[in-house]
Amino acid sequence: MSMLSLEFMQRALLAALLTGLAAPAVGTYLVQRRLALMGDGLGHVALTGVALGLLTGWAPVWTAVVAAILGATAIELIRAHGRASADVALAMLFYGGIAGGVLLVGLAGSTAATLNTYLFGSITTVSASDLWVIVALSVTVLVIAIGLRPQLFAVCQDEEFARVLGLPVRAYAMLIAVMAAVTVTVAMRTVGLLLVSALMVVPVATAQQLTRGFRATLALALVLGVLPSLAGVVFSYYVDVAPGASIVVIALMGFALAWPVGSLVQRRRYRSLAQAAEADARLASDHVTAEQHGHQHDEQCGHPGVPHGNHVDYLHGGHLHAQHGQHYDEH
Amino acid sequence: MTPTVVDVRGATVALGDRPVLHGVDLRVRPGEVVTLLGANGSGKSTLVRAAVGLVPVVSGHVRLFDTPVDAFRDWHRIGYVPQRTTAAGGVPATVREIVASGRLAHRRPFHRSTKDDREAIGDAIDLVGLGDRADESVAALSGGQQQRVLIARAAAGRPDLLVLDEPNAGVDRSSQEAFARALRTFVASGRTVLLVLHEMGPLAPLVDRVVVLDSGLVVHDGPLPLPSGLAGMPHGHIHADDPGQGMFG
Repeated sequence: MSMLSLEFMQRALLAALLTGLAAPAVGTYLVQRRLALMGDGLGHVALTGVALGLLTGWAPVWTAVVAAILGATAIELIRAHGRASADVALAMLFYGGIAGGVLLVGLAGSTAATLNTYLFGSITTVSASDLWVIVALSVTVLVIAIGLRPQLFAVCQDEEFARVLGLPVRAYAMLIAVMAAVTVTVAMRTVGLLLVSALMVVPVATAQQLTRGFRATLALALVLGVLPSLAGVVFSYYVDVAPGASIVVIALMGFALAWPVGSLVQRRRYRSLAQAAEADARLASDHVTAEQHGHQHDEQCGHPGVPHGNHVDYLHGGHLHAQHGQHYDEH
Repeated sequence: MTPTVVDVRGATVALGDRPVLHGVDLRVRPGEVVTLLGANGSGKSTLVRAAVGLVPVVSGHVRLFDTPVDAFRDWHRIGYVPQRTTAAGGVPATVREIVASGRLAHRRPFHRSTKDDREAIGDAIDLVGLGDRADESVAALSGGQQQRVLIARAAAGRPDLLVLDEPNAGVDRSSQEAFARALRTFVASGRTVLLVLHEMGPLAPLVDRVVVLDSGLVVHDGPLPLPSGLAGMPHGHIHADDPGQGMFG
């Protein structure tokens, strides 16, 4: 295929592959923390960073990383202080980011077309040096998102419980925010800063229609992030539209397909669970029979006895057993 | 000096500008089952949260296993069940995944879980009677079953002290009984429990000592039954004719 022999397409596809993996990996944790819109805000803030790069002549990808990380740090600090006005503070940070960005791009003498390549991505603009930054950053994000899954899951699931586990909760929360900031910058060239959040959230929303576990959701979201990213870039090669738009539309089509399937499967599962609830009532009621026993519990059996009302229970493999006729009950 | 598991002395706690506890003492010794009772807003939840270091004390001190809470590092010795209405988050998670979080005080980052971890997780799920739901999404379970998932999560760390904040709030009867059974098993192995309850219910026979709070002050600290003066307290009453017969065999 001639498309693959073009160097700019090779770079664009590799960038799309890595973006398609990194964005949903971080997005899963953001959705878990109910911060789905955080990527959106960070994209706005990163635009100011891009504009600073254009104005000063530094590589926009680095100035964007710095701006996004500063933004992420500010968001985490505002959140950690838990002020009631936090959402207003965040909104102002986001507006400031996008307005500052557009203002500075104008001052730098760049055109609206240049601005658009950052806002919605552009397959022809991934330079070789950009690609190295994208590879390094996205691989780091992926290693952390997958390697620290148990810890990050615990922090996102229940922050207070995680603190009583002795986990450094503030540090992990900050890590997630910084990973989101880095991912925004990685995704800037393919989906663009305005639509990056969609690539973080939509694959996760689609995946959870079909999964019941966190690990399964994360794994499926990675697949559902890569497919639209590659397809969107290829589509942009044939039809001259911004890749960001085609990637997000394809991802949303995936959701539209998964949603009815998911609700059907779920309805069926709830029905079988309702039946299982009766079994649970039996399991949790007064009389639960212990597993088959090779021996009699008595003073000599070696299992500690615990007085219980008018009889003695025996602690056996983490269960309390009480004699009941020919068998033992769980007490 | 006998060891203490939880030692709170003269603790004063303020949430924002509002003082919630005024110089409260609470001591829990190894193997004891202590229940905190009190009306809504009496500070019982704040007291256990201060005891596990979630809220700082303005004055007084908190020690866990004879170590000041700020210097305490043996978090694997503590199993905490926070007050929650649901165990579900923004992304689906299975019962096993949530219970597995309870092992993290034993695990190092970037290391795989050990056979020990997996055994403890399985045991904790069995303990609360959810063995056949282990790979089900928690969001699909009833409120009471989700509460049991949170108890299993705390038990998975095989802690020496279990701290539970209203584990029976809004829980159906079968879950309450499964919970009472789990707690009996836990206590039988000689471990310590600190429990916040709205009312004693079926747990009364398990409890060694009751501490009653009112408006941030301890108004009673002793064994059951409560003195008659407190019997009329909102939510502090005991079901005298329900000592758990039948429920506990």
